[in-house]
Amino acid sequence: MSQKFGEQQRFMLLLIAPAAILMVLFQIVPIVIGANASFRDWALNDPKKTWVGFAQYAKVLTDPAFLQVVLPNTFVFMVVSVTLALVAGLALALLLNRPFRGQKLVQTVLLLPLMVAPVIAAIMLRWMFNDQFGIVNVVLEAIGLEGQPWLTQRWSAFAVILLTDVWLWTPWFALLLLAGLQSLPREPFEAAAIDGASRWRVFRHLTLPMLRPVIVVCVVIRAIDAFRTFDIVWTLTGGGPARSTELFSLYAYVHAFLNLDFGRGSAAAIIGGAIILVVGMLLYRILDRMVRVSR
Amino acid sequence: MSMVRQVVLAQFAPNVRRAFFACGLAVICLLFAFPVLWLVLTSLRPQSGVYYVHRGLEFTLAGYVHVLHDERIVEALVNSGLIATLATVFSLMVTVSSGYMLSRFSGPIARSWFGTIYVFRCVPYISWVLPLYFVTRSWHIYDTYLGLLLPHIAVHICFFSWLMKGFFDGIDPSMEYAALIDGCTRWGAFFRVALPAAIPAISALAVLCWLFTWNEFLFALILTGQRTPVITVVMAQFVHEMGIEWHLMSATAALALVPAFLLTLFGQKYVIRGLRI
Repeated sequence: MSQKFGEQQRFMLLLIAPAAILMVLFQIVPIVIGANASFRDWALNDPKKTWVGFAQYAKVLTDPAFLQVVLPNTFVFMVVSVTLALVAGLALALLLNRPFRGQKLVQTVLLLPLMVAPVIAAIMLRWMFNDQFGIVNVVLEAIGLEGQPWLTQRWSAFAVILLTDVWLWTPWFALLLLAGLQSLPREPFEAAAIDGASRWRVFRHLTLPMLRPVIVVCVVIRAIDAFRTFDIVWTLTGGGPARSTELFSLYAYVHAFLNLDFGRGSAAAIIGGAIILVVGMLLYRILDRMVRVSR
Repeated sequence: MSMVRQVVLAQFAPNVRRAFFACGLAVICLLFAFPVLWLVLTSLRPQSGVYYVHRGLEFTLAGYVHVLHDERIVEALVNSGLIATLATVFSLMVTVSSGYMLSRFSGPIARSWFGTIYVFRCVPYISWVLPLYFVTRSWHIYDTYLGLLLPHIAVHICFFSWLMKGFFDGIDPSMEYAALIDGCTRWGAFFRVALPAAIPAISALAVLCWLFTWNEFLFALILTGQRTPVITVVMAQFVHEMGIEWHLMSATAALALVPAFLLTLFGQKYVIRGLRI
């Protein structure tokens, strides 16, 4: 019996061995190197690599730009973009959850943002919100409003970034939630219809609770991804104007590769990683309680 | 209130309500398609036409011709295509077996592997791609195919193992048990029974993986330089350096959309399946 047990374990380990080796080489080793670099004076143009203890962490954690701009930006971005995309996606899914002609076409259109690279989406919106020739300002001026220099003001630039992200991810929520809606059992809804429940009550007391596991999985996956957003910000504003729309990934990148201070960039990356791990763990506990992912 | 609304709604002829529904759908489709349509329209205008895209009717393919004569852009498209294809093949080889293990077994090994995958999925890319720059340099694979390919495969492991676990969860394991009882080895049961049953799921994963790699930006930005241009990085540089030539910018972006668009169109069934976690 015990021999058979060992054989099964060997099989299990062999199945994950290639993945595990790659992970060690290209994730764990770099993370260790990065952690090591975050304790050193490591300028890319002058890599002295002397041990400086927690000095780099202190620099990041006392940097007003990090505390008052980057961290709030990152969390606001995460919460707002996930919430908006979830609400819009849920509304779309409810709208599409009925048979109608052209359903296939609508589905294809919804898939469009999913295949567009974030970089390209950012380029498209950058062009549409161009202050001189962008279509948005053209339309605004045509109806008698004043055009805005969208990408050179802090909050409007941040709003465009959020809009890009919501455009990219609403269809993802919609398709997943639609799949969830279609797999719900029919009987409770029929019973509610016989009892004459209003649409809102059906939604609030039947659809929403039954859909909760799908919603939770979507939100967890998206929230973790939204935290590390880099490409759309980089392409839309480059973190500007005056570094006011920087998210945490951008901050680490700018310090490591533009200011050539690899030690400080690594420290920022580690701090961000630690924050999202804590958030991720909390989300995981919620997720596991609701849908038992790990079994 | 809702009573009033229902009465009002009931007075509508069903045709009118259907028309409202259709209009709503049309608006939604337009909202999601508009940026792409606008990009394509811009790419078809002559250089001076870009500044009044909404007016005028001259159209030309000159932007595309210009872009396709740019060696760097063509090279970047080819590189991106090759890297995405290779990364897809190797990622699948690595993640399918890992997802199978997660789905079919429980106990400490499976649990800790699942935990590892979840933790590393949370780690922001920037935290390991910054030092990866030094790792690839010291192994002399910086700015080569291999130097971009291997990190790409590694980044897919976490998410795709998770997805693959979900797919295998949906496949009844009793056929594999039957094969084991009939004297098949575990490997035989995996390769001959489980894998063929999972082919639709594997195709879904392949389409997703190709799209992710083709669209990826941060890794390419940090791990490639002059020798191995990749299309997303070239486009981003374009925006910052030559931000005014919007007809060329749009033509490049439209070209980069074509492969992804075709793949999504023909693999639509698989994309949707792959998204269902």
